[in-house]
Amino acid sequence: MGETTRRRVVVTGLGIVSPLGINKELFFEDLCAGKSGIHEIRNLHVDGRSCRLAAELTDFNPADLLSSRNLRKMDRLSRAAVCAARLAMEDAGLRLHAGNRERAGMVLGTAFGNTALTAELAETLFREGPRYVNPFHVPNTVMNAPAGHSAIELGFRGVNLTVNHKEVSGEAALALAADAVERSEADIMFAGGADILGPFLLLSLNRFRALSPDDNGEEKARPFDVRRNGFIAGEGAGVLCLESLESASDRGRTPLAEIVGRGLGASPCSLTGQPSDPAGSTLTMERAVRFAGIDPSMVDYVSASANGGRHGDLTEAAALRFFFEGRSPLISSLKGALGESFSSGGLRAAALVQSLRTGRIPPCTGLSTPLNSLEYVLQPKHAPHLEYALLNGNASGGTHVSIVFRRWTEKSDRA
Amino acid sequence: MNDASRPRVVVTGLGTINAAAQNTDEFVGALSKGISGIGPVRLFDSSQYRSRIAAEVTRIPTLKSAFEDYSGKRMSRADRMAFAAALEALRDASLAPLPRELARDAGVFIGGGAGGLPEAEPFYRDYLRNGARHAAFSVLAPLYCASTADHIATKLGLFGPKLAFMTACSSGANAVASAANILRTGSARIMIAGGTEPLSRVTFATFNALKALDTRPCRPFDRNRGGLTLGEGAGILILEQLEHALGRGARIHAEFLGYGISCDGYHMTAPDPEGSGAAAAMSRALEDAWIRPDQVEYINAHGTGTQANDLMETRAVKRVFGKQAYDIPVSSTKGVTGHTLGAAGALEAVASVLCIAREIIPPTLNHEDPDPECDLDYVPEKARKGRPNVVLSNSFAFGGNNTSLLFGRYESHG
Repeated sequence: MGETTRRRVVVTGLGIVSPLGINKELFFEDLCAGKSGIHEIRNLHVDGRSCRLAAELTDFNPADLLSSRNLRKMDRLSRAAVCAARLAMEDAGLRLHAGNRERAGMVLGTAFGNTALTAELAETLFREGPRYVNPFHVPNTVMNAPAGHSAIELGFRGVNLTVNHKEVSGEAALALAADAVERSEADIMFAGGADILGPFLLLSLNRFRALSPDDNGEEKARPFDVRRNGFIAGEGAGVLCLESLESASDRGRTPLAEIVGRGLGASPCSLTGQPSDPAGSTLTMERAVRFAGIDPSMVDYVSASANGGRHGDLTEAAALRFFFEGRSPLISSLKGALGESFSSGGLRAAALVQSLRTGRIPPCTGLSTPLNSLEYVLQPKHAPHLEYALLNGNASGGTHVSIVFRRWTEKSDRA
Repeated sequence: MNDASRPRVVVTGLGTINAAAQNTDEFVGALSKGISGIGPVRLFDSSQYRSRIAAEVTRIPTLKSAFEDYSGKRMSRADRMAFAAALEALRDASLAPLPRELARDAGVFIGGGAGGLPEAEPFYRDYLRNGARHAAFSVLAPLYCASTADHIATKLGLFGPKLAFMTACSSGANAVASAANILRTGSARIMIAGGTEPLSRVTFATFNALKALDTRPCRPFDRNRGGLTLGEGAGILILEQLEHALGRGARIHAEFLGYGISCDGYHMTAPDPEGSGAAAAMSRALEDAWIRPDQVEYINAHGTGTQANDLMETRAVKRVFGKQAYDIPVSSTKGVTGHTLGAAGALEAVASVLCIAREIIPPTLNHEDPDPECDLDYVPEKARKGRPNVVLSNSFAFGGNNTSLLFGRYESHG
């Protein structure tokens, strides 16, 4: 099946715009130190006491990173996404020019797009009428605006896709981008996710009872914990620069890590609920690991999707237990520190790559009493022999994506 | 790139619902007789808008006959249209009901646009008027495009890859292209792929604000074209690995030959006037499929009816096909269906496959007064009898997203 032409896909750059800042080293240090990006809401006006806490993007200044000409055409979501892409490009030491821009592209995930902008547009339409709708606001209401702005700002002309599948948007973007590089549709792909919060989104999440409720000081993100009662909403953008190994070598770059496998899958499930049967999640991990050509027992670390939700965490824990059959890898979820930022796959993948490079695994912040007996990382962990790591994404409505990363080594495991 | 050993992908089922047709048979009739679905807007009061016409779907078939326990609860108009089209496509592919053993290796990729926005509109109004306390948030459950794929996968019990794509007017084409890749890499055997778009007042208002709507039915490539006419509908294809289709003795409508995706990186809403991004998408599709330009026998154009798109697309076709551009029929079916945005790429993929399977070259409606700068053969007004073996379908979108799909008559030697 054309195995011989499968190219190796490596990560050469990380771009992080997170509640813990935009510096990739500090971001990872903070995560490893158990620091959380979740605070009392400062920037958002929250209607109807939806929640008190969120992981907001606070101290990042897009004007430092973007051209002023393009900056003023971008909304807040695009600014976060394009900044993350810019940072990934700089981290990869990459320059785009006539010789490589046609084979450079992007797959971006965003679960919700800019909800505040759409709500504002609807408000103008319904309060004042169609003649008052500002055409200047229109281009940013389409979900593919951030990827379009990125192409304009950074100058790539290749494959350009936007995925919108709730909490797996970022992981799916990484999977599709890796696929494009592997099949040689592109040499360089920026991939990840971006979502921002808005009052309307917070209110909706609260009404759907997804958020950890603000009563008796119990509001907290507790992934995999017996006392979990919902997630804390977050925002952020994380973009990775993926390249074919040839492309990275030609530029004299040493890869940060390699993407060796991926799986996509589904579970029958109600529209806003989580599947109770772990079969779909298990099958998806199995696909990813089989794609990588490794045995489940070779997976050393899982960056889990759990966010503190009542049902989803339970299903993921059951799937992990079932899939790893009594030999648990180290398991952590970063959503206790970063909140549930929906297309969080980009940010979490960036942290996972740092783990593979340094052998350090951030603790699962917010977890004190695990709901089952797997190897949850409760304290910062040093695991010097980390080789394979799995990034899991699960979305409400029953969608799964798993990606296998490998610590960078010259030698390929593939036969 | 051109991996001869990759699995071939074929189309074994088609389904659609749009303003001109309730199903694919009716769609063949509309395309070959040039019947337009464009009429006065009925879904909402359009008196405050520049344009008061659209291509609306008048009736969405109930799905009760397929699922006894089907209620339609928490399904948006977009979801229901896509579901109806998906069921038609599955029946067409002799996959209804879907055999249990296939559910593990079957997935669904759907391109979307406004999703459940029409259902959210009364909510927004209520919310603005009466505040959050009284607003019924439950209508927002299917707001995002992901809900269509979620509904289809859950109802059919699928465990294969499932994703929603949103790249504005090329969403449907990208869902089809990405689904074909899933089959090429062996990650599934069967993919339900397509797009769906409802007519939404908010969308209508945005195009109105951009002054992109024609007051008369759209007239692609015509000298006096004044913009697009919005439409709604869904188009679904059943894509399948060739070996799997042959193994179960399926009827093959056409082969998915390849695709090309590019990005202008030029402007958020205006296409690069030289059409270099559009040309790149077409060239990449030809390369991916190992097809020479002179093998293409019909082009289903993006052809929206805006000044900018139609001129740009004409230039791009000439860039790719050179002198041969004048010998290839190029038509826009948007006079029949309206511009269905997120569904358009998928709906036109259905049309392109029908051109091959049912031997038609559909017309460009309302093309009366030729534009000296748009001088290709646009098949004005009347369909032609034809037997195209290779068909190219273009989709160009806001954000500078360009996608071209290539379909061909299935031949066993390949």
